[in-house]
Amino acid sequence: MSALEGLKIVDFSWVGAGPRATKDLADNGATVIKIESRKRLDLGRLSPPFAGGVKDPDGSAFFAQTNTSKQSATINLSDPRGVDVAKKLIAWADVVVENFGPGFMDRIGLGYDVLKQIKPDVILASVSVAGRSGPMAGFRGYGNSAAAQSGHAALTGWPGRDPHMPPLAYGDVVAPMFATVAILAALEHRAQTGEGQHLDVSQIEPMIHVIADLYARDAVPKKSGNEDDGFALHGVFPTSGDDRWIAIAARDSLELERLGRVLGIEADVSSETVAEQTPRFDRFELFELLANQGIAAAPVQDGKDVFESPELTSAGHFQPLDHPALKVGKMPVPPYVLEQTPWAMTRAPLLGEHNRAVYVDLLGMAQSDVDALAADGVLA
Amino acid sequence: MNWLEGVRVLEVSDGLVDLGGRMLAELGADVVAVGGDTDVAPERKLAWHHGKTRLAADDVTAVASLAQRADIILNGQRVSDRFGLADALAGADNVVHIRVAPFSKSGPYAGRPATDLTLMALSGLMEVTGDPNRPPLRFPGEQAYALTGIQAATAALLGLYARRRIGQGQAIDLSALQSTTLSNYREAIMYEWTGRIGRRMGNLLVRGKSGVRQVWPCQDGHVTWSMIDNPPMMRAIVAVMVEDNAAGELAHVDWDETLVADMPQETIDRWQAIVAGFFASHSKARLAQWSLEKGWGLSVVNTPQDVRESKHLKARGLFVEVEDCQTGKVSEVPGPLFASSVALPQPRRTLEAPSPASAFSGWEAR
Repeated sequence: MSALEGLKIVDFSWVGAGPRATKDLADNGATVIKIESRKRLDLGRLSPPFAGGVKDPDGSAFFAQTNTSKQSATINLSDPRGVDVAKKLIAWADVVVENFGPGFMDRIGLGYDVLKQIKPDVILASVSVAGRSGPMAGFRGYGNSAAAQSGHAALTGWPGRDPHMPPLAYGDVVAPMFATVAILAALEHRAQTGEGQHLDVSQIEPMIHVIADLYARDAVPKKSGNEDDGFALHGVFPTSGDDRWIAIAARDSLELERLGRVLGIEADVSSETVAEQTPRFDRFELFELLANQGIAAAPVQDGKDVFESPELTSAGHFQPLDHPALKVGKMPVPPYVLEQTPWAMTRAPLLGEHNRAVYVDLLGMAQSDVDALAADGVLA
Repeated sequence: MNWLEGVRVLEVSDGLVDLGGRMLAELGADVVAVGGDTDVAPERKLAWHHGKTRLAADDVTAVASLAQRADIILNGQRVSDRFGLADALAGADNVVHIRVAPFSKSGPYAGRPATDLTLMALSGLMEVTGDPNRPPLRFPGEQAYALTGIQAATAALLGLYARRRIGQGQAIDLSALQSTTLSNYREAIMYEWTGRIGRRMGNLLVRGKSGVRQVWPCQDGHVTWSMIDNPPMMRAIVAVMVEDNAAGELAHVDWDETLVADMPQETIDRWQAIVAGFFASHSKARLAQWSLEKGWGLSVVNTPQDVRESKHLKARGLFVEVEDCQTGKVSEVPGPLFASSVALPQPRRTLEAPSPASAFSGWEAR
């Protein structure tokens, strides 16, 4: 039995910022029904890489890893009859999640006030770039907008150089993690008070929270490359091989001394002298040598290293899941193990795979009505 | 009523769990933090430990006793169990005990030293961050610790939810490396499915056959925007460039019939030079206003000073004043985690001085 078994979620979210939150909840046992549409495909389904290199809404590995353990039902929300079906699902749900542009849910008649009338204690979680209030409430951005708005880009990189964007949509990672915490906390609040609520998670604010230590400084924070004032030595150094590196963090003079012994530096263990010696070593071998001396170090791993990592393999971090389009895909699992209520991850759904289970078995609609609505492009 | 009213959290701080404890405190939990005082920069104490009761670990037995009275333990002891929590919790069925370590409990790296930097290196994120001709870069701050802290808060709340259902707490093991690697959603699957290995590309966004810029200078700083395959967005920005007499050949491109990702790099470079001229002649505020009104998907690259002075964030109440009880100094740090239609909890906005654990009497036995 997983932790959230019995929890019911209707998930209107798409791409990354919402689906990563509902994935957390689904992997831990919540029933998550993902509402999507053939008329307006989840852009996650159009994101590479694809099985066999062929663009296929059911064959995106990106989508597959972001939507594990969910069910998929299709509704065209631009048709009022589709909205009526969505309302039936909301009546069933404990939690509703969306990450449309601000105001969209209101415009289609699924604003929080309407949801409350359908289900008074419902929890609605909305995730957006800038939040639903304030001068930027209507801001429409893409994954990296939050990195730019939060100061991340300005604080990444080498002093004196241009701002540096993260290599992935980091706001699409951090914000949904906050959304997961928000939803779980709101469920605790509801358990104590019986009260639902509308959660408003901005992507910018969590991105500021995760660098709160920089904003807590008296002076305006500045970028520092890989330096950290709290360490005697803190940086990335070249090793043998093309574009191969090792990260080393020595806390104090004792660790510096041990580092010097490993590298054969007789005096003045500094970033410069370390960088002169590390190219003599293989990055993984030096990792072993320094770990044995109690010095924190690690090879800078690339995607292949990560995928083949003995540590991650041992932890079962990539779990093979059979999938009709992907065949077998290795999907990353939650980073925790709950002894009594372990997570149970299943494959991501095909588009509309659970239409019958949702509309007929769960909502009790007649199959003929479902077929008619599908033929009309409503349940599509 | 606070959302986590009455929920007692014992945090054994060591970087990995500190943000997790801070999040639970922000949600109204009664968080007692032990450790995390020596060798920690003042700004990190302020950022991660305000709103908590801070105790100095003068008495191992007192800390073990607190563990027995807690609902949740965020246990950031990396290797040894210096407070004897394993023994103290034998038979304490009600406690949700999250044991956080850099690596998995019994994997090949178990027990190895790790810092935020080395976890980031192992996650695959550093390899793709930075310029091609320079060393790999970390993200700002301590992102491996932050990501792990958020997962610790998540695990705590999962354990609390499960306790309500099954009537007992449980032990939960959390790996910081897995928490950090999970955020790298692209590189491992890209290798699995295509055999391609990502490298550092600077600020270039590579899609299809070509690369497009992400960062552009403007009159008074930088903005981020990319020429991607989004015809409505391209039409919207070119329309303003036409009005500004700055569109050049872009005015004649049929964006519905153009796949930017498949264009020759020299064409993209020529088009980007036109856009660069347009951006360079306007301010951040002007470009941001156009983007908001017209849907360009452009963002200002805020400096940290811009963030601190942001009218939007002020309106949302993000930054709050926190008093350091030892110095009396008041600083502004991020407060609420999100907004809500119901009243948010009101945690203490103070950074307390650590008091001896042996003298703490705040948690009566239940």
